[in-house]
Amino acid sequence: MKFDAVVIGGGKAGCEAASLLLDAGLKVCLVSAGLTMDAESTDPWAAVRAIARRGAVVLRGDTAVSADLKAETVLSVHTECLEEEPLEARLFILATGKYFSRGLLADMERIYEPVFGADVDYIPGRENWYDSDFSAPQPFLGFGVKTDAQGRVLIGGKTMKNLYATGDILAKGAQAASIEAIASEYAGK
Amino acid sequence: MKVFDVIIVGGGITGAATARDCAMRGLSTLLIERSDICDGASGRNHGLLHSGARYAVTDKEGAEECIRENKILRRIASNCVEPTGGLFITLPGDSLEYQENFIKCCLEAGIEAEAISPKEALQMEPAVNPTLIGAVKVPDASVDPFRLTDANIIDAMRHGATILKFHTVTGFVRSGDRVCGVKVSKPGDIRSREFRARIVVLAAGIWTAGLAREAGINIGMLPSKGALIIFGHRVAGMVINRCRKPSNADILVPGDVVSVLGTTSDKVPFEGIDDMRATPEEVDLLLREGVSLVPALSHTRIIRAYAGVRPLVMADGDGDGRSVSRGIVVLDHETRDGVPGLITITGGKLTTCRLMAEMVTDAVCDKLGVKAVCETALRPLPGSGKAHKEEGEVPYFKRAAIGRHGTEVSRMDFDLGHEIICECEQVTRAEIRYAVKTLGVRNISDLRRHTRIGMGTCQGSFCIKKVAEVLAEELGQPLREKEFIDEYLQERWKGITPVIWGDSLREAEYMQRTHKDEI
Repeated sequence: MKFDAVVIGGGKAGCEAASLLLDAGLKVCLVSAGLTMDAESTDPWAAVRAIARRGAVVLRGDTAVSADLKAETVLSVHTECLEEEPLEARLFILATGKYFSRGLLADMERIYEPVFGADVDYIPGRENWYDSDFSAPQPFLGFGVKTDAQGRVLIGGKTMKNLYATGDILAKGAQAASIEAIASEYAGK
Repeated sequence: MKVFDVIIVGGGITGAATARDCAMRGLSTLLIERSDICDGASGRNHGLLHSGARYAVTDKEGAEECIRENKILRRIASNCVEPTGGLFITLPGDSLEYQENFIKCCLEAGIEAEAISPKEALQMEPAVNPTLIGAVKVPDASVDPFRLTDANIIDAMRHGATILKFHTVTGFVRSGDRVCGVKVSKPGDIRSREFRARIVVLAAGIWTAGLAREAGINIGMLPSKGALIIFGHRVAGMVINRCRKPSNADILVPGDVVSVLGTTSDKVPFEGIDDMRATPEEVDLLLREGVSLVPALSHTRIIRAYAGVRPLVMADGDGDGRSVSRGIVVLDHETRDGVPGLITITGGKLTTCRLMAEMVTDAVCDKLGVKAVCETALRPLPGSGKAHKEEGEVPYFKRAAIGRHGTEVSRMDFDLGHEIICECEQVTRAEIRYAVKTLGVRNISDLRRHTRIGMGTCQGSFCIKKVAEVLAEELGQPLREKEFIDEYLQERWKGITPVIWGDSLREAEYMQRTHKDEI
């Protein structure tokens, strides 16, 4: 399936991004596993449904699992349910959030981003991930993916040309993508 | 001023069982605990009722004590013990000759140990490592240490004992060399009170050494830290042990709906004994070893990790504290140190708590010239005995409480309090009220220990606000609600952080985002 843009993550950040991309007239696909922690809404699917009503293809309950890359460009993304049918697009937005929504995964040694293998800004050594005082700022809540000044995701230290990050998945201090600017740029292409 | 026959210092399982025995023998008894009942090592262990098999090879006497007491506790504390049975498995690389000798030693100690084939073992307990080459069935069981300690305390009180919680013993009242009482203070209160007794018994676990020093006595004790991990499922229905010389992480014990893996054994300095935490390194070690016992542990959700301190009495030339006998030690400080009126009970195990109490109470009675016989092995503890009877079907909101408190459920008022406050552990308002009124619960950690509130899979994330509100109401102290929430979250955090990866990290983020504004 071919789209202008694929947004991965149906939480607040992903839905806002999808909405702006639709405003610019782009053909959008939104993948949402449904693990948002939006405290303001009693209906976790409400925002995603609103995006679907506006004409986007919404893959509800599906999860992005891997991506095809060529040089510094993302070609397509594979999902759990559509393993045989990659989602191709010119633009990809990573908005999968942190740990609860499985945007970041952690094993005993490392923290990683599972779809693209994006560079994660974190301190190695589990004892450095937390503060033993519950009420103190927790280092792990500041970990996240690295981006360049335009909000483009880094993989292996290299800037990806068409992969942007927004929302909770960003490391503390990392630049979020300006979706409005990106949307008008891609709408003009 | 009232002079008690006996003052017991320490409200762990040893002190509680001793208070019960003393009170049952007609002694006027006062037990003083600086925190809540069961707050030290008694509440930080496997919850394993040893068959004695683990000690059969290295410590025959200890093994014999265990199997005798195992049988007694099954009888007198039926609501605290779950007769799961246990397996000792031999893995490739372990020695089958060891197993043969192990069985021989068990039988000599009176422990019914039966060799079964690996195939039978896997049928009995599908979770064990399928590569096992041998297995032995033994009468291990699971015991709830909180419940067992509570039952002893309740029984002591019903026999006239006085229980003073949240009071610290700061020194001794002396008359010449003799100890004739204790000085006591309350946190946040500079005034000191005195309680007098004809005999003072130290039953304070590892804290005994420091107390004895106040009386000018040196007891060589070794704080040995043991870390454990709780898994969110009952991975195995039986206690699983490794059939080899006792080592790290070689016991997995099912308890209610969870499993506990442990333990480590490391000598630690006395300075740290008030704030024991499991470290990430200990967790790594436990998991590495535990997975060879039960492979499913590698992908089973971990709830938390914790650590306790074994009170080992030091022997010469021992490094890590594991080969020290867990034998029971009664020290008569009159003959040992020339300090009459003071006796120490230490060593031992959770499984042998009743015997420890009997031995020290015998010593106390001897000093006091009291002839009463020990009856603790004959009379059931509160909650034990015949199963709690209900007419017709047991209502859903009572079932968990019956499991926890046995016949004590008849003291709970479900007419006004059957709403479920903690979903994971199915704790009702009626049970909270009972804990406040009967068990003297004063804060949220007390409540957790006595009812299992917030100990389940959500670790309080969902229910803690409601629990705090209800507890504050039942105590008639509505202003303490926020303090309860703070205390609870900090305490849970202590156990979550050593295992902060995978799903635990997901839950940690959830807990932080849901409750950060509470603090």
